[in-house]
Amino acid sequence: MIVLGIEGTAWNLSASLVNDDTVLYEVSAPYIPGSGGIHPREAAQHFASNITGIVRQALSSTDISSVDAVAFSQGPGLGPCLRIVGTAARALSLRLRVPLVGVNHCIAHIEVERWKTDLSDPIVLYVSGANSQVLSYRDQRYRIIGETLDIGVGNCIDKLARSAGFSHPGGPTVEKLARRSHNYVPLPYVVKGMDLSFSGLITAAKQALKSVCIDDVCFSFQETAFSMLVEVTERALSQTGKSNLLLAGGVGANNRLQEMLSVMCEERGARFYTPKLEYLHDNGAMIAYTGLLMLKHGVHTPLELSGANPNFRPDEVEVLWIDN
Amino acid sequence: MDRQLAETVVGAEATVHIYDDVVVKRRRPKSYRIKELDARLRKERTRVEAKIQSDARRAGVPTPVIRDVNGCSITMERIKGEPVRYVINELIAEQVGEVLGRLHSSGIAHGDPTTFNMIFSAGRVYLIDFGLAYYDGSLEARGVDLHVFFQTLEAMHKDAQSLKDAFVIGYAKYCPDAMRVIDKVNEIKQRGRYL
Repeated sequence: MIVLGIEGTAWNLSASLVNDDTVLYEVSAPYIPGSGGIHPREAAQHFASNITGIVRQALSSTDISSVDAVAFSQGPGLGPCLRIVGTAARALSLRLRVPLVGVNHCIAHIEVERWKTDLSDPIVLYVSGANSQVLSYRDQRYRIIGETLDIGVGNCIDKLARSAGFSHPGGPTVEKLARRSHNYVPLPYVVKGMDLSFSGLITAAKQALKSVCIDDVCFSFQETAFSMLVEVTERALSQTGKSNLLLAGGVGANNRLQEMLSVMCEERGARFYTPKLEYLHDNGAMIAYTGLLMLKHGVHTPLELSGANPNFRPDEVEVLWIDN
Repeated sequence: MDRQLAETVVGAEATVHIYDDVVVKRRRPKSYRIKELDARLRKERTRVEAKIQSDARRAGVPTPVIRDVNGCSITMERIKGEPVRYVINELIAEQVGEVLGRLHSSGIAHGDPTTFNMIFSAGRVYLIDFGLAYYDGSLEARGVDLHVFFQTLEAMHKDAQSLKDAFVIGYAKYCPDAMRVIDKVNEIKQRGRYL
């Protein structure tokens, strides 16, 4: 089975062809903001101008009649971006006369990594620009057992970077500067049960920029935010009795976060898999592969239910491809 | 004084040493986080836990008496008895309802009210482990507590429904808007996210 997948929820527009075993082809046209952060309308305009090109490129890599389905990122994400991708996917599905599969972006991050590892039944820490969640599979669903109450941790890092005048994305710059400091400035640490809050942290970090050197702010910010994430993740491992941890989403590329998670896992005898960068960032392959899993279990998306779903939560998806 | 160590329990955050007469709960250092932050968190949380546990007791909730708080460890009275999980019946479930009702009406949520965190001793139900407790009198906070409790009933006991009914009778005695909390539980259950 070959599935064409199109990802486009925020910054990366990407198309990919996968079969059961491997990624056959992938092409991306990332949106890079001229200044500031991701502007939803500009991102969507970028997607609209590039989607024909990348889809054509992907399809020209194979015999077009071998494509069995078209999968697309249905949400969560920026509405204007999702609508471009959805429109393209619907048109392709009608034109090629193959089923359409609307994929949850978060679940796609998880599934593409599970595909490439032998981690069974992991706790998932999913951290990206807009999302910060801890998930655990039970009874046909990925349950959200902890999450941010306000903004995603990546969004928080971007805000800090923008206030300091760095270009988007700010994560790599913040990480680099943080490595130059060992001077911790106290910042708000907010964990409520299994949930996290980052809005007070970013306000305090921005305030600190006025009086504390930028390296120290980046260091203190990372230490605080990541400790919160690791704490909730550890509690999830402890409460569920699970012993594997999977890290997903763009913020997962941060080396300090990876280091802290691996120390925590080592201490409690859990296994931590350090994911590959290409799957941490948004990519078309994850959409194509998750679409393939869904289709193989009889799931496809009828046209009338294929609309963009900007607040699509992972626990809305019935997971049929995991045996209990 | 030489104390006889009866049992050691290792949780995600703390290690609990149970002696003949007292229980010592100590928050362990976490090497993934830097020392300054680690020390601050463990100290703050230990202090808050001790305070909430005393406040709960003052509000009429049976909890172990705190003997000492020292840095990251709390020494408290040992309640000798059986975890409610092993002895629960309708009478005890109603008592659990009264205890949680009192706690909630004083503006405290327990955070982890499983039947393991309740001890039945000399005819009374004691609440223990305030490690995840917080001050919050909202419907949401109370609803989550009840949901966690109901989940443990459903997971462990065949006659969960009659135990729940008995619980609600006890709960409504002390918690004025008990019925709204129950409605909230159903909404929380729909979200399917708590364990």
